This record gives sequence, C-alpha cells and structure tokens, in this order.
Amino acid sequence: MPPVETSGRARTGRIVLYLTLTAISVVMIVPFVWMLLTSVKSPGDIAAVPPRLFPTKWAFGNYVDALHAAPFATYARNSFVIAASHTVLNVLIASMAGYALARLRFRGSSLIFLAFVGALMIPTYTKILPEFLIVRFMPLFGGNDITGQGGTGWLDTWWALIIPGAVSPFSVFLFRQFYLDLPVELEEAARLDGLGELGIYARIMTPLVKPAFITVALLTFEGSWNNFLWPLLVTKSDSLRVIQVGLSVFRTENDTQWAFLMAGTTLATVPMVVLFLIGQRYFVQGFATAGIK
Amino acid sequence: MAPTRDRVRATASGPSAAPPRGRGLQRARRRAGLLMVAPAVLHALIWIGIPLVAAVVLSFTSYDVLTPPRFIGLENFRDLLSDNVFRRAVLNTSIYTFFTVPVAMGIALLIALMLNTRLAGRAIFRTAIFIPQVTATIAVALVWLWIYDPRSGLANAVLSFLGLDGPAWLSSTDWAMPAVIVVGIWQGIGLKMLIYLAALQSLPTDLYEAASVDGASKFRQFFSLTLPLLRPATFFVFVTSVIGAFQSFDQVYILTDGGPANSTTMMTYEIYKSAFREFRMGYACAQSLVLFALLLFLTLLNRRITGGDRATR
Repeated sequence: MPPVETSGRARTGRIVLYLTLTAISVVMIVPFVWMLLTSVKSPGDIAAVPPRLFPTKWAFGNYVDALHAAPFATYARNSFVIAASHTVLNVLIASMAGYALARLRFRGSSLIFLAFVGALMIPTYTKILPEFLIVRFMPLFGGNDITGQGGTGWLDTWWALIIPGAVSPFSVFLFRQFYLDLPVELEEAARLDGLGELGIYARIMTPLVKPAFITVALLTFEGSWNNFLWPLLVTKSDSLRVIQVGLSVFRTENDTQWAFLMAGTTLATVPMVVLFLIGQRYFVQGFATAGIK
Repeated sequence: MAPTRDRVRATASGPSAAPPRGRGLQRARRRAGLLMVAPAVLHALIWIGIPLVAAVVLSFTSYDVLTPPRFIGLENFRDLLSDNVFRRAVLNTSIYTFFTVPVAMGIALLIALMLNTRLAGRAIFRTAIFIPQVTATIAVALVWLWIYDPRSGLANAVLSFLGLDGPAWLSSTDWAMPAVIVVGIWQGIGLKMLIYLAALQSLPTDLYEAASVDGASKFRQFFSLTLPLLRPATFFVFVTSVIGAFQSFDQVYILTDGGPANSTTMMTYEIYKSAFREFRMGYACAQSLVLFALLLFLTLLNRRITGGDRATR
C-alpha cells in the first residue's frame, strides 16, 4: 500500500480496518478480562443476575482464600519443576540430535530424520495408552519385579511426569532446520584447527543459533506447563498434581466457587502470557520457521 | 536451497577432495553423529516406537490391564463398526475440524491480510489475537465454562443486552457443539494468522509491481498471485491444525464431558473413556488407530491438493 493516500475513500477504508481489528482484538481479550474481574468479585456479585462487569466491592482477598481452599501454590511449583526439566532436557538432547542430523551425515541419518518427521504425525492418543502401560509396568520401580508385575511402576512419581516428555520430535526438527542454515566453511575451519566434532557443535555452531535455543526453550516450557491429560493419567496424590489437573479437580470438587477458580486460572495463565510478551519475537520466529521452511 | 548446500558439502568433504587425514576424520564424524543422535533416538524408540507397535498389537486383543491380554483377532474393529457412539464421535470430530480448520483458516487469512498493511499499532493487534494460543486449554476452557453459564455468564448477558434470549449453551444438544467450536476457533486462530502473516511478509514484491503494471486488479492479484504463493504456508497450517483439531480433548473434558447426549464427544474422548473409565485397552487402541488412519488420509489428501510439502524438506 502506498505510504500517503489522502483520498476520502482510503480514509474510510482505514477507519473500517481499524474498527474491525479492534473488534477482533477485544473478542480475543475479553475472556481474560472477565477472568480477572471474576477473581476479585464477592459471592454476591458473582450470583448477580444479570451479571455486572465490575465488582461492587473489590475482593482481592480471594487470592489468599483460594490458596487456602486448594494447594494452588504446590500445583504451580510442580508445573514449574516439570516444565523447567522438560525445557533443559529438550534443549540439550534435541539440539545434539538436530545438529547431528543437519551437519554430520552418517549412514542412516536421513532415515532417522524421516523417522522423526514421521513421528510428528503420530497422534498423542495413539501413543498415550501404551505409554501409560510402559509407565505402569516399568520393571524394578514402585514395587514392580523384573517383569514389571506386582507394583505400580512409575505411576504417581516424578519419573512419569518428566521422562516421557524429555525429548520431542518437534524440537529435533526445529533444531535441524536452524543448524542447516549455518555456513559449511565455519565447520571446516574449526576442523582444520583440530577441534573435535563435539567441540565444533558446542563451541562454534551452537552460539550461532542462540535464537533457536530460546525458541525451543519457550515452546517446550509453554507446552509442558499447559499439558493436562498425561499428568492427569499418571498422578494420583495431591502433592504431585500440576496446576492444570489441580484446577480441573478443584472445579469438580467445589462446583460453584467461581471466584477461587478464576483466581487459580489466573495463576495458570498469567505466567504464560508474561513469558509470551517477553519472548514474543522467539515464539513468532519458532512458528514461522516451522511454517515456512 | 538444501540441495545446493549438500552439493557444497559433498565437494568440500567428499572422499576425492579429502586431505590425507580425511578417512580418520570421516570416521570420527560418523561416530560423533551417532553418539549425538543416540539419546534422542533411544527416547523416541521407547516412548514413540514401542507404543506405536504396542497400539497395533493391543488392538487385536481384549485387555483390561489387570489380566494378561487375550488375542481376539479383528473383533475390536468389528465392534467399532457397530458402535454408534464412536460413529457419533467421528462425525463430531469432523464437524469440529471443519469449523476450526478450513473455516478458521479463511478468517485467519483475512486477518493476516488486514495486518499486512502499513498500520500503526499492528503489533498490538497481533499480540492480542495470538495470546489465547499460549494459554492452557484447561484454564481458558474453565473461563469459557463460566462465560457460558446460562444465568450469570457473560455470553447471555451480552445477548440480553442486544435484546436476545440466550440458549442454555453447554446443556443444550443444539448449542453445546457450537460453543465448543467457538472456543476452538478463539484459541487457534492466532497461530494460523501468525503463520499466514509471516508468509505474506516474505512474498516477493516485484511480482506485485509487475502485476500492477500489467493492470491486474487487487482482487485478481490475490487469487492469481497471493493464494498460489501461500500454498506452502496453507499446507503447513492445514496439517498442523488438523492434527491439533483431531486431538482436541481438554476443552471437551472441561466444558461438556462429551454431552449432552454425546453431542460433543470426540474420538479422543471416546479413546479416553474406553481406556480409563471402562478399562478396555484393546478397544481403545483400535479406536486410536482409526484416529491415526483418518489423520494420515487427510494429510495425504491435502498434499495432493496443494501439490507439495515444503515443510518437511
């Protein structure tokens, strides 16, 4: 579009454009506003028919009360520990694999890459039942004997929450795409200088794809924090519950406590919104890279 | 792009051009490669490879976890054919996918086109539209559950402000599915828009200048230039969105529990119910293979239509 257009038609077009985009944005944001406002409403305001947008009395104490009603702080801590573990493991293991597949061609490497791409297509719901069984029958854990019988295996343990999500094929795929773009001369020069392959990966090439690391780290953290079904299946005790599972349990056990529920929901969503606002560039780059390359 | 780089590497490090130490170096490189890829491959074998094989094997058995699996041949698949609830789930998943993928993609492309102009505050609009994408489906579904509350919810308050009588939403067989779809579109449209926007911004401008010189209208330019050039993005958005839509679970779990009267149950929900409420693992595996097969079919179909998959090059 040309920079200066002063005709009346163009101006009307621009106003319509702004109004449309504003309306769409408002629709996207309103549920979060409603969540925040509900979380500071008194029971009387919540039961009001028709509902009012703003609370008559701002009940900020709801947040303290919610933490007493359910161990949301423990839930959030668990989610954080798991998400952080997944992030570190994914970044380490997937970057090595992605690097090897992009730069160190060896017999079978293209086959392995194809297998990872194929793995992207396999639905979670096809894998999740056998994964549950593997966890349940993990030999020599949780009272199981060497054949995996007799106990509960990894069920209701940190192992089950952390190990299966330690590497995702998508991270391997993303890292490979980023490493592919580096110039081959750098690698050759380092090799001539007598640097080993691991050294070239860690000291020469990896510093050049820092954005890839931030992107994979952010996407992994976000995915792990937001995950629900797997932690629901493999945990039972309250002390191991993650925030998403904790919220859904709180809702079924305390059906009508909307203010507390929305306070908990705020706790579950706000960290991700903040993370996104800080790392927006990398989120966008991650999705765009996956989408365009 | 990639083939050129491979050629460069081949001439730079192939056997003919290799220095005397080349053979040893190549072996070191191969060993390093295998070593570096090994942890990821091992993990994938245990948590993807074995489960995939196990799902196929278990689908031919009757298995309740407590007693050993019993081979029953194709009985699970025969049962599937006469399972009306599962058929309903396939239909519901298809309806949900239709609205949250192709329809939402159209809307996302329109938004992307609006944002792909010189516009003050473009970043703010983009951020606002994308935020639902990064928040947990469980959490936002709980917010929507509250919005859909027939008495004190925001949805019916807005409708009554407009002079309309709102339905009972999630407890109505007519309105529960649309309500679930709205949440799906709301949460997923940001990512689709973002990928389209990134693709639009990387389109070559000289083609458009040439088209303008030739007198092609904006309308004509969109259909003859923009849409074809967006094919790789369209393929990528379609495939990832279909995979996502087919696996929607969290919002159904929170909003409707598959009801009322199975009007919002999805294939994923039936798999979950068979496996973890009825403990019919073999049957659940058979259901999950149907889900997988449908996904593969849709992906291949779209690949034929858009004529290429640059995403996995």
